[in-house]
Amino acid sequence: MFTLVIGGAASGKSAWAETRACSLPGQRIYLATMQPYGEESRARIEKHRAQRAGKGFVTLERYTDLAGSAVPTDSSVLLEDLANLLANETFSRDGGGSDAALRGVESLRERCAHLTVVTNELFSGGASYEGETLLYLRELARLNRLLAARADCVVELVCGLPNVLKGEVT
Amino acid sequence: MIFVTGPLFAGKKEYIRTALGLTDEEFAACAVWDVQELAGAADLSALADRLSQNRVVIATELGGGVIPTDAAERAHREAAGRLACLLAERADTVIRVCCGLPQVLKGSLSC
Repeated sequence: MFTLVIGGAASGKSAWAETRACSLPGQRIYLATMQPYGEESRARIEKHRAQRAGKGFVTLERYTDLAGSAVPTDSSVLLEDLANLLANETFSRDGGGSDAALRGVESLRERCAHLTVVTNELFSGGASYEGETLLYLRELARLNRLLAARADCVVELVCGLPNVLKGEVT
Repeated sequence: MIFVTGPLFAGKKEYIRTALGLTDEEFAACAVWDVQELAGAADLSALADRLSQNRVVIATELGGGVIPTDAAERAHREAAGRLACLLAERADTVIRVCCGLPQVLKGSLSC
């Protein structure tokens, strides 16, 4: 089962995605992509850790090259999140570009039993961005569309509520 | 008229062109897109009436971000949102596309 979860900032997408990943059988793996730069991201990482505490996730931190990550074949993997992964692959020194981000997700999907990917809705606030940001947005949108086309289930989170765009959520 | 809206780069054009089974040329002849860029018009109702003569009208959602500090951008964003509402009123069918996936908000695609 491949589920794509999209939503704006603080829309409840992480909590929903965690519940989703937990509802699927197999060892629960949380694949964290956020690099702990500075106080704010460390605080955010702590918030997410506390939120998923007791839910039985094994946390793997992996910032680039997901294709090289080791995940058990029977696992239910929650990847959080695509926007971070793409930024790492695009802007980090050891990044492989947006194709590496897509390859990484595809490789995960082939190797685990269930994959839930969290991605970000960054596209409703206009287009007045500078060159590099605009390119990044365009690439994230492309990955979102590609993954949505391949997903069994696509859910947009609004105020913590799932708006099902594709497939069925039980 | 079919009004298609949705976020930036969501695949709005490609979705509706494919759904209607049109070639690029046929699509270009019966559709207008990026109409949010026209929202600077003095009379939005008249603009919406005129645009509604097309089979397909497409607009990108702009209203989801922080209120722009620039007054002109602020006014433009406001007008773009109003224009979208006027178009949705006039449309037989309204579809929102997100990540290339459609959701019918009004009517149905068969009309």
